[in-house]
Amino acid sequence: MIDIVGLAETNDEIAPGYRLLRLQLDQDVEVRPGQFAMLKPRGMFEPLLRRALAVYRVDGPRRISFLYQVLGRGTEALAQIGKGGEVETLLPLGNSWPIPSNQERAIVVAGGIGSASVLMLCEELKQADVETRVFFGAANAVAAAGCGLEDFRFCGFPLALSTVDGSAGEHALVTAPLERCLKEGGGRGVTIYTCGPWAMMKRVSELADRFEVNCLASLEAPMGCGFGVCVGCVVAVKTDGPLGYGSYKRVCTDGSIFNAKAVCWDINAMGH
Amino acid sequence: MPKQFVGTLTLWAIDSRLILSMSINHDPRLAVAIAGIHFNNPVLGASGTFGYGLEFAELIDLDRLGGFVTKGLSAKPLPGNPPPRIVETHGGMLNAIGLQNIGARAFVEERLPLLNRYDTRVIANVFGYSDDEYIEAITILNDGEGISAYELNISCPNVKEGGIVIGNSPTAAARLTARAKQASSRPLIVKLSPNVTDVAELARAIADAGADCISLINTVVGMSIDVNTRRPRLSYGTGGLSGPAIRPIAVRMVYEVAKSVDLPLMGIGGIASTNDALEFMIAGATAVQIGTANYYDPAITMKIVDGLSAYCGNNGIAHIGSIMRSLMTE
Repeated sequence: MIDIVGLAETNDEIAPGYRLLRLQLDQDVEVRPGQFAMLKPRGMFEPLLRRALAVYRVDGPRRISFLYQVLGRGTEALAQIGKGGEVETLLPLGNSWPIPSNQERAIVVAGGIGSASVLMLCEELKQADVETRVFFGAANAVAAAGCGLEDFRFCGFPLALSTVDGSAGEHALVTAPLERCLKEGGGRGVTIYTCGPWAMMKRVSELADRFEVNCLASLEAPMGCGFGVCVGCVVAVKTDGPLGYGSYKRVCTDGSIFNAKAVCWDINAMGH
Repeated sequence: MPKQFVGTLTLWAIDSRLILSMSINHDPRLAVAIAGIHFNNPVLGASGTFGYGLEFAELIDLDRLGGFVTKGLSAKPLPGNPPPRIVETHGGMLNAIGLQNIGARAFVEERLPLLNRYDTRVIANVFGYSDDEYIEAITILNDGEGISAYELNISCPNVKEGGIVIGNSPTAAARLTARAKQASSRPLIVKLSPNVTDVAELARAIADAGADCISLINTVVGMSIDVNTRRPRLSYGTGGLSGPAIRPIAVRMVYEVAKSVDLPLMGIGGIASTNDALEFMIAGATAVQIGTANYYDPAITMKIVDGLSAYCGNNGIAHIGSIMRSLMTE
């Protein structure tokens, strides 16, 4: 974990409301698939806290990209960064997607900008020669483009696209084609890797339970620090409880990737 | 032997950690003493924002830090509040963590041995739901080697038992302070709440009860509402406001308490720069604790240590203690 100032090479809008920020770093940093960084324009007072963004891609030992959706004050501040802009960057943070050496098949379920956490995973699954299917869900065609659809297609895995409004791919929630796949026996020997909205991951987790498939989910929560000290970003889990009924784990340092079975999906870490 | 003399002996003759500190070039102008404890500089990490200290080992040189205060430790581990626990506001943030912690025993056995590798003062923040639970936690911590002092957290706004926060009542606060002082093998710091009518009255009660030092302020009770769901943004409903937004409140309270009691003070509340730290010292604080700023700038304590050295140099100050309580009022 290091705290460095990255220089923005690009911060282009790739679709309305979605941007790709590529940073040049002055040190080598090893980032594993699924890890994230805490980012803030250098010297900016408001908003105060950095924002947690998944590392979308490592473009070289000193060059990394973040794909993000402009949603609030923090990401709006990031969107203002121009070429050469300085970005306070704390990384790499969190655990990473495990790919056991004996793994033969995988399913990746990406919902919305949750895709940012799984592109590197797909690239690694490709390298490891794991037979993989991708389920890619977004609100609409524009959002799908903004969430990096073309980069995922480039990985070459079979990809099922679905949108909530039907403007691209299947007119359905991403969990619908996933459920069909599992019903048809597509879950045998598979690990599901998922990142997306809470409700989507909850549904994916239910399907994984029903079809007895191993499932890992990368969670999101509002973060104060990103490195374990504020204890603000917790998620309720079913194990290891000081009171015997469960406990709260930090998304930043105990995750962000959790076994979906362990997560209490009824308690949304993001709030209501 | 006078207590202060024992402290000095400990510092120069017995404390083996001093040998460690020889390798670091501490600025002697920044050294301060509180209740017989020597701090290499007056910059500390504040409770709740500094974990158990070790989390910062990769990010800063802990040997250069004056000290830090642990996350509130209770006799038994606490699970904390359900999420969401934090929400950002303008110039600050609200939190309602609910004192999730590993418990005093685990701190003593698992974390303290690792912390003792560093030349920094470790202050254990202590919390309980009743006077007895505070004493139980202190008794466990008394077994730990390498704790310099206790900070009694009587002011957390995010946990209430029967609707009463001990820190809001001078009588209850004095009673607990006296018991804690008796149970404690170490100097006792009492951390004050800003959510009171008369902070000076509270400070006097705590000073009379035997506290060695007062730290202030804890967070200011606040609330934030999601207008779409019409629910509080925090699961607990209300939370503690921290960050630069509360600094002027904190400076005023440090100033009021400094006028009312002779005890050394630690200033806390939205410190995010060297000048912020200096404000608190001029108002009356011997040392400062840095809180929320650690989240967005993990090296902020180091920057303030360097900044205080520069301030001494630029202003011909031989010792940082000389600016303490130096507010010009005419």
